[in-house]
Amino acid sequence: MLTLSRVSRRYGETIALDGVDFVVPENTYMSLLGASGAGKTTLLRLIAGFEEPDQGEISINGERIDGQPTHLRDIGFVFQNFALFPHLTVAQNVAFGLRYRTNAPLTNETEIKDRTEEALELVGLTGFGHRAVSAISGGQRQRVALARTLICEPRIVLLDEPLGALDANLRSRMCDELKAIRERLGVSFLHVTGSETEALTMGDKVAVLANGRIMQTDAPDTLFSHPGNADAARHLNAWNIFDASLCRTSALDGMIAVRFDQMDVSAAGTGPADRPTLAAKYLTGEFNGPTALSFFRADDGTLFQIVDHLSQPRLPDLVEGQRYDLHFPPQALRQFHGAA
Amino acid sequence: MSAFTTETPSEIIHSPAELREKKDRRRAISLLTPGLLWMVLFMVLPMGMVIYVSFWTQTTFSVNSTLTTASWERFLSSSTYLGAIWTTLRIWLIVLIATIVVGYPVALFIGLFVRNKTLQTALLVACVIPFWTSFLIRVIAWRPMLGTEGAINVILLKLGIISEPLTFLLFSEFSVLVGMTQIYCVFMVGPITFMLGRIDVSVIEAARDLGASFGTIFRRIILPLSLPGVMVGSIFVSVMVLGEFATAASLSGRKVNLLGNIIVSQVGSLKWAFAAVAGVVLTIIITAVIALALRLVDLRKEM
Repeated sequence: MLTLSRVSRRYGETIALDGVDFVVPENTYMSLLGASGAGKTTLLRLIAGFEEPDQGEISINGERIDGQPTHLRDIGFVFQNFALFPHLTVAQNVAFGLRYRTNAPLTNETEIKDRTEEALELVGLTGFGHRAVSAISGGQRQRVALARTLICEPRIVLLDEPLGALDANLRSRMCDELKAIRERLGVSFLHVTGSETEALTMGDKVAVLANGRIMQTDAPDTLFSHPGNADAARHLNAWNIFDASLCRTSALDGMIAVRFDQMDVSAAGTGPADRPTLAAKYLTGEFNGPTALSFFRADDGTLFQIVDHLSQPRLPDLVEGQRYDLHFPPQALRQFHGAA
Repeated sequence: MSAFTTETPSEIIHSPAELREKKDRRRAISLLTPGLLWMVLFMVLPMGMVIYVSFWTQTTFSVNSTLTTASWERFLSSSTYLGAIWTTLRIWLIVLIATIVVGYPVALFIGLFVRNKTLQTALLVACVIPFWTSFLIRVIAWRPMLGTEGAINVILLKLGIISEPLTFLLFSEFSVLVGMTQIYCVFMVGPITFMLGRIDVSVIEAARDLGASFGTIFRRIILPLSLPGVMVGSIFVSVMVLGEFATAASLSGRKVNLLGNIIVSQVGSLKWAFAAVAGVVLTIIITAVIALALRLVDLRKEM
């Protein structure tokens, strides 16, 4: 179990992490979702030991690891750009940790060879050992990077936007494989990403990092349907977050949120009386295949997005620039207290 | 095929691809011509001339173009000249190793530990500051430093470490080695720094993460990745040291005779054929050294 308590990190005036409390349980795929610049990479670098926190403690199974040198921490790090050793072959890259680590390096060449082949087989690269790393594709490099990390049997594996450098097709395939590999090994993965779909798909649990803090940690479905605060909701890219006073009929106040797929549209002035309703101007639509996204602008400038599913269309025909009534069932809204 | 070409009028209509190719070829040739001309006029022809002259007949005060191998025989049978080859090779090897030993840590610091590009450039420029003065001054400046009443001896005497001045410091092979190492070190630092600067930091972090200590990372990652830089630096230093004569002339007190010094003195006494022999030998040695260096590291693969 990896535990971070009150971990802070500043770069000059900029606060990257501001008292992060965070736990990655054993045998879990944890996704860490955050916008770019939210401090995701900083968090990983602190855990791996490339940097030290200004305040706070990092520990694994109760043993403090902050302050320990990186090479003694026994943590796996998969780099966004893979960071393969350019002068070594695939097999030499994978065997690097076994051969050259400070703690209990292996000297028996047969054992190194067997373990390397095992690791390459695990990531589906049997027979690629003799290749130069410049002679394999992006997806294969990703697998080499993973095999190189996993062969050392680290206590936890940190993945820094591991799919970011892959094309869309490959990304979805690697998603499944990462999950399968993790389940086979039973080690915890901490996967950092800026994509909410990736975070929700991959994670047994998803944590949202914003403003240098962990805003919420939950199972993906819970997080998606019950975000605990406006920041968490904003990162899911599925919630309209707005001031309750926009609604004509309700007696609500403060910030409220309604999911993109739970809002309906009627002609101006015809919103049902039993549902909270607000007026907005239709801006434009975006067709994404199975779904269509419509954009509206409310009177105070708030942007609303509404998802319509192609198989079950709910929205009337919309004319750009025209005003409409947006309404939603009262039970669909979530109200956040305190946070703006 | 031949029927086709005879039927086509002389103005064959070229496809755009062919036209583009033709244009590119013309541009390549026009870019290459000045360099090629220069090389042929000032390198290939003189080289041929030097080899030719080395077979001329040398009399005490003149040289004529009757071909003979006399100069070669004299050169290869004289212990003085064979000794000069040996001295040249020895000094070259020691200076090469010294520049690597002194230059590599400097390059390691500038290229790897200074990550600010501006500061890197500033430090590299600082390495070149001695070059702002003339070559001769740089060499001669070692005399007041190394002489019997020079700075080093005076300091050591004052500190009581030695009781009488060290005489091996100046006008010896030692002073030549010190002078050359100082002058040529920067040619080693530059290429190595460049290679080290190109190493992706995350590669080093990956090695740390995989459990390697700094020593291991240096041996297994940093050193192999910087070897092409060492090789380029070695080629620079080798070419310059092997052809050296000025440092030896002004710091060795005529005790150290390099091939370069022989050429200078033979030319001075108008022994053209003999100077040409030494010149050819020197060229062969330099070519062999560069060929060896390129054999050790495949620059095409590494750059």
